[in-house]
Amino acid sequence: MIEGVKRISNIEWEVPVGYIPDMRVPGRFFLSESLGNMLEPGALQQLANVATMPGIIRHSLAMPDIHWGYGFPIGGVAAFSLESGVISPGGVGFDINCGVRLITTPLSLKDVSGRRDLIDQLFNAVPTGVGAKSAKKLPARALEEMMVKGARWAVENGFGLPRDLVRCEESGCMKGASISTVSDKARQRGIPQGGTLGSGNHFLEVQVVSEIFDPVAAKAFGIREGQVCCMIHCGSRGLGHQVCTDHLKLLEAATKKYQIKLPDRQLACAPLTSPEGKDYFSAMAAAANYAWANRQMITHETRRVLSKMFRIAYEDMPLVYDVAHNVAKFEDHVVDGKSMRVCVHRKGATRAFGPGSADIPPELSTIGQPVIIPGSMGTSSYVLRGTATAMEKTFGSTCHGAGRVMSRSQAKKKMTGKEVTENLLKQGIIVRAPHDNAIADEAPDVYKPSDEVVGVVHEAGISRLVARLTPVGVIKG
Amino acid sequence: MSFEELPHTADVKIRAHAPTLETLFSEALRALMQVMYGDDREGGILREVDIEAPDDEELLADFLSEILFISEVDGLVFAGADIRIHGTTLHAVLDGELFDRVRHAGGSEVKGISYSGLSITRDTNGYMLDIIFDV
Repeated sequence: MIEGVKRISNIEWEVPVGYIPDMRVPGRFFLSESLGNMLEPGALQQLANVATMPGIIRHSLAMPDIHWGYGFPIGGVAAFSLESGVISPGGVGFDINCGVRLITTPLSLKDVSGRRDLIDQLFNAVPTGVGAKSAKKLPARALEEMMVKGARWAVENGFGLPRDLVRCEESGCMKGASISTVSDKARQRGIPQGGTLGSGNHFLEVQVVSEIFDPVAAKAFGIREGQVCCMIHCGSRGLGHQVCTDHLKLLEAATKKYQIKLPDRQLACAPLTSPEGKDYFSAMAAAANYAWANRQMITHETRRVLSKMFRIAYEDMPLVYDVAHNVAKFEDHVVDGKSMRVCVHRKGATRAFGPGSADIPPELSTIGQPVIIPGSMGTSSYVLRGTATAMEKTFGSTCHGAGRVMSRSQAKKKMTGKEVTENLLKQGIIVRAPHDNAIADEAPDVYKPSDEVVGVVHEAGISRLVARLTPVGVIKG
Repeated sequence: MSFEELPHTADVKIRAHAPTLETLFSEALRALMQVMYGDDREGGILREVDIEAPDDEELLADFLSEILFISEVDGLVFAGADIRIHGTTLHAVLDGELFDRVRHAGGSEVKGISYSGLSITRDTNGYMLDIIFDV
C-alpha cells in the first residue's frame, strides 16, 4: 500500500490529516491488499483533496472501485454540512446521474442462449454510440417535463409502468429541479438524445441469474436462479455534460468570490447556502431527472423487444431497482449521535440504504435497498442490499462497479475489438457495438475483477451480496 | 507541433507541444476530434467561434467545451482551425465536415474538459499542454 496511509482493518484504510496541507478530516477507503496493488497515487491525492473542502463531515470516503478521476476520485463519497458546507460539480461529474437499473423477465437461459437476433433487435431498438440520435422527436415542452418529473414523465407518456417509479432511487425524480438554471445549450443537446444509450462504459446487457447468496432478499427483490434479466447503464447524455460544464464555470467564479481555497480547480464549489450553490443543485437535479426519464425510455424499448420476440407480457418484466452513480443529494444521516440533513456527493458510488431507511420501497423496508453493481463486459454483475453498517460508515454508500485498471489506448494495443468479441463468443456472450474500438476499449481485463470489488464491500458490511448475474449478450455504446 | 496520449486509466490524457499559444490550442482541438472521431476528418464547412476567459487554461477549456457543443448539436467533425488569441479573447474559424456514421464512429464520446491536471506551460520550444478529457 502507498506510504503515509494507515491501516484500520484488513480492508479499511485511513489517509491521515496532514497527508496533504489543509485537510479538515481524514480520508477513509475500503480496499483489499491485492486491489491495493492497483491503486494509483493520483486517486489518493484526489481523496485527500476532497478532505480540504469546507464543511466536509467525518471523512472523505472512497469505495473499493476507487480510481483516478477528476475532482473527486471515482468511487468518492463525501457529506457536507448544510450550514458550513459546499456543493461541487467535481463531486458529481460530467455525466450527472449516470446510473444503472435491472429488470427481471420470466425467461430462462435456454430461451435466450445463442439468440443473436435478440441482441440485434435490441441494438436496432436503442440508439447507441457516438453521434446517435433518438428517432423520437421530443418537443421542447416534453424536455422541460422530463427535467421536472424524471421517470414519472416517461411513465405518464407510455414508456413504463407506474410501479417502476417506486423501484427507483428518489422515485426517479429529484425534488428541487429548476429548468430556469438549465441553459439553452443544454436543452439543445437534450432534445435529440432522449432514449439513447451513449458510449464509453454504457451498455444494455442480457444476463442470467447464476447464483443466489441471500434467498430471502432475492425473493423480496423478485430474483430467482436461472432467470433472464436486463441491465441498463447510462446517464444524462449531452444535457448533463453541458449542465456540468456551464455550472463548473459559474462555480469557478464563485470559488474566488467566497474565497474558498482548493487544491484542484475541478473541485470548484460554492456554499450550499449561496445562490450559485443553489442554482447548481437545481440544474443538476434537472439533469438527474432527464437521466431517469432516459433509462425509463430505454427500459420501455427493451421490454417491447422482449415482449414481441418471446410473447411475454410487458408487465411481467418488473424493475428490480434503479440507482444513481453520480449525484449530490440532501439526505438524513446520523452524525455524532444526532440525525441531521447533509448534502451527500457520490461520484462513481451507489446509495446503499439499510433496512428501515426512508426512501426505500415499503415492501423492502426489512431487507434494505437493492444495490445493482455492473461488472465489465465478460464478467459477473451483482445485486446486493444496503445495510445499517453503510448508514454508520459511508453515509449509506457502496461501490458502483469494477473500476478501470487499464487506459483505453493500452486496451486497444493489447487486443482488437474483433479478438475481444471472438473470446467472449467462446464463453457464450454475444457482443454488438457501432464500432470494434468500443469493444476493445471495454474489454473485460481493463477492469478490476468485479467479484473482488463486491467481495470487499460485502466483507466491510457496507452492502451484502444477494445474487450474481452472468452476461449472455451485450450492446455497447 | 504534436500531441500524444499519456497513460490514464479512466479518461484520456493528452500532452501537446507547439511554438505558439494559437497552434497549441489548434493541437488540442485536433486531439479532441481524434479521440472522438478518429483520423479521417476533412474540411469544407466553416464555423466561427469567439471565447473570452480570464486565463489561458480557462480560455482553452471554454473553447474545447464550445467545440463539444457545436460538434454534437450540429453534427460536425472538425479537421482543424485557424485561431487568433489576443489577451483574454479567442477568435477561431473551425474547418470541418458533417458527421459520417461509417467514417467517424470509431472514437469515444468526450463528456467534458477537466480542469484536473490542466496546465499550459512555457518550454524552450514554445508551449506545452497537459489536459484530460472525460470519456
